Amino acid sequence: MSVKTTNQHMIKEIPLIKRFPFPFQKDSYRYSNNARPLESGKLADITPEYFEEIDKKRQILLNHHERAFQSLEHSIDGQWEVLEFLIDELAIIYPEYFSVIKNGHEWTFENKLLDEKHTFTFGDLSTLPYEPLDFIGRHVQEDLIFMGQRDGDLYMDAGQLCFPANWSIAFDIGMTYTEFHSPVPVFFDSGLAKKVLNFLLRIEAGKPWTRLNWTLTVEPILDTFPENFDEWGPKKEKVTSENAGQLVHLRVEDQRLFRMPRSNGILFSIHTHLISLDELKKNEDWLKRFFRVLKDLPDYMAEYKGFSLYKGEIIRYLEKSLTD
Amino acid sequence: MMARTLEVIVEQITHETAAIKSFKLVSADRSPLPRFSGGSHITTYLQTETGLIERHYSLTSDPDNTGYYRIAVRRNEDSNGGSIYWHDHVKEGDKISISYPKNYFPLSFQAKRHLFFAAGIGITPFLSMAKELKKKKAPFEIHYAAPSKELCAFYRHLSTFFSEETHFYFSKENKKMSTKLMENQPIGTHVYFCGPEAMIKGFADAAKVIGYSEKSIHFELFTPPKSGPMQPFRVKLNKSNKVIEVPEGKSLLDTLLQLHIDVPYSCKIGGCGSCQLHVLKGEIDHRDFFLTEMEKKESNVILTCVSRAKSGSLVLDL
Repeated sequence: MSVKTTNQHMIKEIPLIKRFPFPFQKDSYRYSNNARPLESGKLADITPEYFEEIDKKRQILLNHHERAFQSLEHSIDGQWEVLEFLIDELAIIYPEYFSVIKNGHEWTFENKLLDEKHTFTFGDLSTLPYEPLDFIGRHVQEDLIFMGQRDGDLYMDAGQLCFPANWSIAFDIGMTYTEFHSPVPVFFDSGLAKKVLNFLLRIEAGKPWTRLNWTLTVEPILDTFPENFDEWGPKKEKVTSENAGQLVHLRVEDQRLFRMPRSNGILFSIHTHLISLDELKKNEDWLKRFFRVLKDLPDYMAEYKGFSLYKGEIIRYLEKSLTD
Repeated sequence: MMARTLEVIVEQITHETAAIKSFKLVSADRSPLPRFSGGSHITTYLQTETGLIERHYSLTSDPDNTGYYRIAVRRNEDSNGGSIYWHDHVKEGDKISISYPKNYFPLSFQAKRHLFFAAGIGITPFLSMAKELKKKKAPFEIHYAAPSKELCAFYRHLSTFFSEETHFYFSKENKKMSTKLMENQPIGTHVYFCGPEAMIKGFADAAKVIGYSEKSIHFELFTPPKSGPMQPFRVKLNKSNKVIEVPEGKSLLDTLLQLHIDVPYSCKIGGCGSCQLHVLKGEIDHRDFFLTEMEKKESNVILTCVSRAKSGSLVLDL
């Protein structure tokens, strides 16, 4: 099963280097609550990779459903709220790509990019092929995580996660925010995790937030689950200062946070972008800054982000590129 | 960045009692309004001749009703003008800006049973909570004190839709809403209070004595707590090295905002925690109802809207 791609011409082609969300504001990077108000107010970005990524998502969900989608029973109302939020947004922001017709509780949602039309009864699970979050996540490039806010804490209540940077929704489901962040070094022990939790608990509807997170991935692989580490992990050993330009990719997560006022939960979206270092070279300022950030990066961060093995090779590659 | 607002039209004004009016608000462009969770409120922004008035009112309509919101406002002669403006100047057809729904008074998820205690206009947040619980078929009781049936807002509404769950206590009939109602309740019962500060304090203290844990006690205030004189004090901003004098009678938050220092805030009555700032040095006189006893003891954060320095000065991480 693969998605229809004949409508690729409907999405404007813009070179990756012109639209890549470069994450570094300074020559140094440390953990901080770097969230800032999301000026656009919207969740979904449609990029030229739409067809390829939706196809990939749906294949993962078909072949490894439990790996990429998890939910707890009490998240269903929250999931319907997420579906409503996204359908309304898509129809308003991208009328050329999506539409919705609401006849009371009978809704018809159309995805014009994929030539798909679904009619269902809002609130009635039996009228959808999948749970609401699992359904709507198959129409956007973003991964979608729903955190329930209950009794003063946030819980991982549901999530569709196809492109994780080495974390597992199947492992994290049901955990509190503090529990699922406990592996992050320094962030957790320094008290920053608690500060960020306090910030998240007070996010208001109508005032969404955004932050960029980053890591490195060898080869342009979006689905780096812990569950398939054997497929992508060993590739790290191949990196040399000669091939780093083609193999190593800067991986940036455009993360956004929205309060869902009905359930009082938080919707967390992640849009993952990959760019090879050879491609990044087209913007020399970015390459220079990335070089300085890497030189300054503490070992515990390279270790946690999973590239300490080939950090030296990248630095040699960058040194060479910048002196050429 | 200020949060986005919703534009609404006052479609209908209803006299609930002699002192309480309710306002039905519909979206100005007729698009659906956001759903909300039980206990939510909105901030209303009224443009008046003397400036912008920001007030918070509980939403009393059904949480799933995207067609309109309803709020109820009691005319309060002692207020700073918000309720009087709503009563005397707002007309049907007027356009008003409101915030998205916010909830600082959510239902507990782990509670097995919910007991609500309301005095007067304090009934308002419980109306949407009751609707939500009824849909989920979760057990709850409403205990509601008012002067008389005539002065009891939403009497008919409650008697019609929640007759089983609601108990009225009219002082003119010499009926008193006693804290004893909280005794001998099954494990997993949570208690919620809304009304004047003295009523909330009385019930919260009694609940603690009865043995309710801090996590099982919930309340919402409508006005800032009265907790002593607002003495002047000094704050030092660590990052910018500025020194600021907070004058007598004025809050730290208002002082910072007036100096165009962009700090977060929302409820302004020490209830939501939005204005929390980190304190590096100094003794804090905590006057909020948000931080836990533990957090107050740790003494490294301050809610700038109500709390002050105990003596001398504070150093803020700003």
